[in-house]
Amino acid sequence: MVFSSLTFLYYFLPIVLIVYIFLPNRIAVPIGKEKNLVIPARNLLILLTGFFFYAWGEPFYVVIMLFSTLIDYTAGRMMDKFDDRPKIRTVCLIVSVCMNIGLLAVFKYSDFIFDTVNSVFGTDITNPVILANRAINDIYNFGLSEDRVALPIGISFYTFQSMSYTIDLYLRKIKVQKSFIGFTSYVTLFPQIVAGPIVRYEDVAAEIEDRKVNIGKISEGIAKFSKGLAKKVLLANNIGIIWTEVKAMDYSQISAATAWLGILAFTFQIYFDFSGYSDMAVGLGKMLGFNFPKNFDHPYLSKSVSEFWRRWHITLGTWFREYVYIPLGGNRKGMAKTLRNLLIVWALTGLWHGASWNFVVWGLYYGILIIIERVGFGKILEKLPSAVSMLYTFLITVFGWVLFDTDGMGKAWQFFKAMFGAGGSFADSTAKYIFSSNILIFIICIFASTTIFGKLVAFLKKKKRLVYAYAVPAAVVCVMLLCTSYLVDSSYNPFLYFRF
Amino acid sequence: MLRKKKRLNLPNLITCIAFFGILIFMAVMTAVLPKQDFLEMENKYAEKFPKFSAKAVFNRTYMNKTESYISDHFAGRIGWIKARTVLETSLGKRERNGIYILDNRLAEKIPESDYSSVDKAIAAINKFAEGNDIPVFTMIVPTSAEIYADELPENAPNADQKEFIDYVYQNLGKSVNTIDVYQTMFSNRDDYIYYRTDHHWTTMGAYLAYAAAGKKMGYDPVPPELFDIEHAGIDFIGTFYSKTLYDGVEKDTIDFYHPNVGSRVTEVAITSDFGKEPAIYESMYFREYLDKKDKYASFLGTNVPIVDIKSDNGGGKLLVIKDSYAHCYAPFLTQHYSEITLVDMRYINMPLNKVLDMGEYDQALILYNASSFMTDTDIRKLGYGQ
Repeated sequence: MVFSSLTFLYYFLPIVLIVYIFLPNRIAVPIGKEKNLVIPARNLLILLTGFFFYAWGEPFYVVIMLFSTLIDYTAGRMMDKFDDRPKIRTVCLIVSVCMNIGLLAVFKYSDFIFDTVNSVFGTDITNPVILANRAINDIYNFGLSEDRVALPIGISFYTFQSMSYTIDLYLRKIKVQKSFIGFTSYVTLFPQIVAGPIVRYEDVAAEIEDRKVNIGKISEGIAKFSKGLAKKVLLANNIGIIWTEVKAMDYSQISAATAWLGILAFTFQIYFDFSGYSDMAVGLGKMLGFNFPKNFDHPYLSKSVSEFWRRWHITLGTWFREYVYIPLGGNRKGMAKTLRNLLIVWALTGLWHGASWNFVVWGLYYGILIIIERVGFGKILEKLPSAVSMLYTFLITVFGWVLFDTDGMGKAWQFFKAMFGAGGSFADSTAKYIFSSNILIFIICIFASTTIFGKLVAFLKKKKRLVYAYAVPAAVVCVMLLCTSYLVDSSYNPFLYFRF
Repeated sequence: MLRKKKRLNLPNLITCIAFFGILIFMAVMTAVLPKQDFLEMENKYAEKFPKFSAKAVFNRTYMNKTESYISDHFAGRIGWIKARTVLETSLGKRERNGIYILDNRLAEKIPESDYSSVDKAIAAINKFAEGNDIPVFTMIVPTSAEIYADELPENAPNADQKEFIDYVYQNLGKSVNTIDVYQTMFSNRDDYIYYRTDHHWTTMGAYLAYAAAGKKMGYDPVPPELFDIEHAGIDFIGTFYSKTLYDGVEKDTIDFYHPNVGSRVTEVAITSDFGKEPAIYESMYFREYLDKKDKYASFLGTNVPIVDIKSDNGGGKLLVIKDSYAHCYAPFLTQHYSEITLVDMRYINMPLNKVLDMGEYDQALILYNASSFMTDTDIRKLGYGQ
C-alpha cells in the first residue's frame, strides 16, 4: 500500500488511527489470582497493522521481513544474555549484519552480480533466485517474477533499520528490547517501513516503551502529513509527467531547452516525491506518538555539495556516517585513509540507491566532488557570493540526476550532449510548449523548494496567531480535497475504442 | 508536581475533526451509495469486489482489484475528476488526457509519427489493389486537429496530417485511386463538419466528402437540397468529452440525412461473430443509441467485423475497408450501390478472400481518418493471401 492511494487514505488510515487513539499503551488482563497479563496493546496494533500494510504490497516476501526481524531480535537477546562473553556478542553481531547484507545481496543485487559475472566471463548462469521463483510458481502459481528478481518493497530500509539496532546494542549505546512485540513493532511501524526515513532504533527507543497521543500531536501530524501528500500528489506527480515525456524522447534529436526542462522537472519530481513521502511518514508517526528524525532540509538551497548531502535524505547520510564512515576511522587517520573512507561510503551510497553501474558512478561522482571540496575548494566556495555557490551546487545536483535516472551510462552521455546543444537547436517548439504549458508548476516548485513558505508560516505563528491557527485546518481541507480529486483521476483512463 | 490541565485548543480540534470528517464521510458514502456495474462515461465495466482466495492474495490480484473497486466506486467519482479539469483549465492548462481544449472545441493530440507502421499499410494496400481486378479507392480523411490546427495552443505538438496524407498517396501505386478530401474539409471549416466533443466527422462532413468523391468513383452525388435533415440526437457528448470531462464546450447534435427521393435500404445484415448468422435489421439507424451516451453508435451500431447493406438501387457492389468514419458515410453510398459491405480489419484474421467472395464486388474503397491510419496495425492484413 502507498500513502497516496484512496485505499490507504480513506480506509486503512482512519480505521487504524481511530482504534489506536482509543487504545491504551498497555492493557492488563487478569489471569488467576493477583496475576495480570500485560498486553502492549498499541504496539501489538502497530505490529498487526504494519504487517497488513506491508503484506498488502508484498504478500509473499513479507516472510523475509519476518525472518530478518526474528534473527535481529534473537541476536539482541543473545547479546544481552551473554553480556560478559565478548566472543558470543561478536558472533551475534556478525550473524545479524551478514544476514541483513545477505538479504540485500540476494534480493537486491543478485541480478546485477550475475549480469556482471556473465558479461565479464561470457557465461550464462541463471540467478538461483529466479530458479527458486519459477519452482514456487510451478507449484503455487503466485506470479513471482521469473525474469528479474523483484525487489521486495522497503528491503533497503528495514534491513538498515534492523542493523542499527544490533550494531548499537553491540556498541552498548542502547538497551536491549526484551519484548518481541516491541521490537517487531519498531520494524513494521507502517509509516516508515517502505520508504523511510531510516529511523534508527535509538531514535525511537523511548517511544516504543511509552508514548502519548493527544489532539495537539495529532493535528500537528495531520498538518505534516497533508504537506507531504500535497508535495507528492500535486507537485511531484504533475511535474513528473514532463520528465516521463522527455525521458522517452530520442536524445540525439531533442533541443537543449527540452533536455534542460526535462531534467529540471525530474530534479523537482524526485525531491517532492521523496521529501513528500518523508513528510507523510513523519506526520503519521506524530499521529501515533512517535518523533521521527527529519529527512530533508531544503537541499536545493545548499551552498556546497557536502552541505547538500547534509540536507538531502539526512537519515541515510547519518546511517552511513555512523555505521560505515566512523567505524572505518572517519577522518581521524590521516588524509589517505580519509579519502579512502569517503570513496567507500559514496560508492556504497550510490549502490544503495539501486543495483547498477549508473548508481555507483553517481555515488562516486558525489564522493569525488566532496573530496575536492574537502581539499580546498570548499574554502573557495565559502568566499563566493551565496548565489554563485548555490547555483554551482544546484547544477551539480541536476547533472547528478542525469546519471541517476537515464537508462545506462551511454544514455546519460547522450543526454549530457543534448543539454549542450548536440540535438541541433537551442529551443524548438516542443520546448516552448513544455515551457508555456508548465510554467506555473515550475514556479510553484521553485518556491516550494525555498524556505519562503516556512518563513511565512513562522511569521503567522508569531505575529498573527489567530490567522495561523485557522489557516492550518483550512489548508488541510484544501489539500485533502485537491489530492482526492487527483487520486481519483489517476485511475481515470476511459476505454473508448478511441481509434474507431 | 501539579500539572495544569491544558485548555483545549480549538483550531487543533478543528483540524482533527475536518481531517477525519472528510475521510470517514467519503469512506462511508463510498461504502453505502449504490454501485454502478457499468461506467458509461468511461465505457467500461466497474471492477467487482474480488473473491478472497490464497492464490488471489499471493499473486496480488486481490489487492489490486480491491483498490480498483474502491476507486471505480468512489463516491462522486466523476465530480472529483471534473473538479481537477475545472481547476487546471482555470489555471490556463489547455490539454488534458491527450486532448487539446480549444475555444469551443476539443481536439486530439496526435504526436508526430515516424511513418514506420504506415509503410506496411501502404504496401498491403498496393498488394491488395494489384491482386484484385477491381478499381480500388483510398480516402484518408484529416481529423479536426488538422483542420483547426491554427486554434490549438501555441507550439502544441501536432502531426502534420496534410503532409502525412500526401506521403501515403504518393506511395500508393498506380493501381490505387486516391481521393483527396483535404481541400474539401478545409474550405468548409466554418461549417459544422466535425463534432466538437467527439473524434468523428459529422454527417455534414461525411456528405461533403461523399460529394467530392463522386467524380472519381463514378456517381452523381445527390444534391444537398434533396435531403431531409433530422436532428436525431441532441446533447451528444463524445469521446473527447469523456477524456477531458470539460464542460466548457457546446454539446453536439447527431443529424440523419434522409433522401426524400431515390433508393431505399432493404436490409442491413450485421455479423458480430464469425461463423454465426448475421443479425438482420431494416434500417441503418439504431435509434436506441440516441438515448445512451455513445450516440454516434446510432450509425450502424458499434464496431463489428462485417456489415452488409442492401438497397433497391440497381448499381454495383462496393466493398469498404474502414474505420468508424465510414459509419455515417455509408448511408450516402446506398444511393449508388445495390450492396455495400463494410469490413473492419481489426477483426479479420484471415485472408479477406476467405471471408468474402471478392469476385462479387465492382469497386473497393479504403476509408480511414488520418489519425487512425497513422497508428493502425491491421490494414497490413489486407496483403495476406494476395
